[in-house]
Amino acid sequence: MKLLTHNMLSCHIKGVQNGFPFKIDPVKVQEVDADYDPDFLRHIFPRLEWKALCEAAATMGAPGLPEEVTEEMLQDDEFLRSFHHALLELVLEEGALICPETGRQFPVHKGVPNLLLNEDEN
Amino acid sequence: MTLQRAGGSEECSTSGREYLAYFLHRHLDFRLPEIDSLIELAGQGKLTQSRWRQPYGKHFYSPFWYLQLPSDAVAQEVAARSILLKGFLDLWGEGETWEELEASIRAFPEELKQPWLQPHLSMKVIVDGWGRVISLEEQIKCHDRLEFIPFQNPVKLADPDITFRLIIANCYSNHGMPDTVPARMYFGREVGHGNRRVLSTYSLSKRVYLGPTSMDTEIAFIMCNQGKVRKGSFVFDPFAGTGSILVAAAHLGAVTLGADIDIRVLRDGKVDSSGKVADNWANFEDYGLPRPAGLIRADAHRPPFRDDLHEILDAVVCDPPYGVRAGGRKSQSKPDLQVRDRTTHITSTAPYSMGECLRDLLDVSARLLRMGGRLVYFLPAAPEVYREEEIPQHPSLRLVANSEQVLNARYSRRLITMEKVLAYDREGAAAFHAEQGDPRMAIDDIPAIVYEPRQYVNGKLVVSDKPPNRPKYRSKLC
Repeated sequence: MKLLTHNMLSCHIKGVQNGFPFKIDPVKVQEVDADYDPDFLRHIFPRLEWKALCEAAATMGAPGLPEEVTEEMLQDDEFLRSFHHALLELVLEEGALICPETGRQFPVHKGVPNLLLNEDEN
Repeated sequence: MTLQRAGGSEECSTSGREYLAYFLHRHLDFRLPEIDSLIELAGQGKLTQSRWRQPYGKHFYSPFWYLQLPSDAVAQEVAARSILLKGFLDLWGEGETWEELEASIRAFPEELKQPWLQPHLSMKVIVDGWGRVISLEEQIKCHDRLEFIPFQNPVKLADPDITFRLIIANCYSNHGMPDTVPARMYFGREVGHGNRRVLSTYSLSKRVYLGPTSMDTEIAFIMCNQGKVRKGSFVFDPFAGTGSILVAAAHLGAVTLGADIDIRVLRDGKVDSSGKVADNWANFEDYGLPRPAGLIRADAHRPPFRDDLHEILDAVVCDPPYGVRAGGRKSQSKPDLQVRDRTTHITSTAPYSMGECLRDLLDVSARLLRMGGRLVYFLPAAPEVYREEEIPQHPSLRLVANSEQVLNARYSRRLITMEKVLAYDREGAAAFHAEQGDPRMAIDDIPAIVYEPRQYVNGKLVVSDKPPNRPKYRSKLC
């Protein structure tokens, strides 16, 4: 699972108010190459929760994304490459996603998070 | 008989030129919508610059349509993505007989022919039969008959600058099929040809990881074309299974995301006797395609996305489970259940009706698609229960295309293409669904329709007035 996906997900256990963002317990993180596409990054940026991406990237071993992003930065190649790396090249292979409110762990195995809720959580 | 000649005809009021679009004779209902989508994808807007004209003989299923396009460049771009188009011809002439064809080509404006008949452009002439095979001997005769055209071009068979094509449609035997194609000859300069090569590259027979419901490669690419998937698109398949739609989307340059409730299919895959694992990741690796941004095990009935997420996707392309080969499942609520160990607990699921599943699919698509983004999915349709009014609706989505693929005598499926035309409004959508009431559709009975034993007497189907006695698989004895 790449951090683009992490940025979209939240915990939907019944009654949970603040299920976003999942905390990450990284057991195994992989770095993969992905096609660098500045247009995609600029297009997707307004849809992201930037703070959550920064924190997730830091947890996964890629700290250093700036806290604030300006219009000029979205034209800057060096910034876009670090954004690209965090969003699409860091892969959580093994570990867990942890609900920030309840602490419920959703296991990630072989890169696939299991987000199915149990019968008592629905 | 009057000749219908391409170019400058009075019926065409838009700018650009008219081309002959000649198709493969398969997935007949899908052909025009695919080209329409690709014209839009090529940046040509909402078909203002393009217009179909009926084929000769006026049969909808004819493979020879006329299409107004702004330029050769657009025609080439559209053709290069199409799965069902053989190619476009800059049509120089057509006719039922050689005399008619020759008169038609001679009448075609010189200024449109001359630039292509120059000695610095190499060429070849292909003779193509439609509905019959044309022998080599006959092909040579055809070449001779075309010598009245003042070709100055050197002939080059491999990779020439220009390919001229003579198509001879002559269906002397229709094998019981309706007479869709009247005998006719078409001659013109080829402008772009279709993209069938991807079908062998991604052939299912050579795929590492497959399942019984893997989407046929040809259809997967057509679906992505309907979804206007292109480089930099973000594409989601909520019923990803073995990922066959995502493979096609990734080939077209999309960033992909898949979900499925069945974790074995999505994550675990298969292990062969030598211990080699075949799973979704293996497919992407084998093809050298970028891995999906995520494959997540989740319930389409309870989408796992944060509530404020919206307008992030360019396309949702999927084949929802409809119970003929694989039934839909969703999670269920049992508040009193004691789960002892969450790491080993196996969650039970409940059946998921087609109507409910599609309502959820439309709603999540309406929320997550950007404006103009597309939802493409298959709707099962048995001829005996299909009603157009039953195609699910959503206030934010507009129906763009509905193409039938006949599977057998009992059922078919329809490729539905919808486009987001209105911003998503949660309350509005909820009110719309409340007004619609029970999402159940007649098509929810599709497994029974497909599998019900039927009685034939002397080759004729006997229809009984009595309600069929169907086994109740999941009900308790009472």
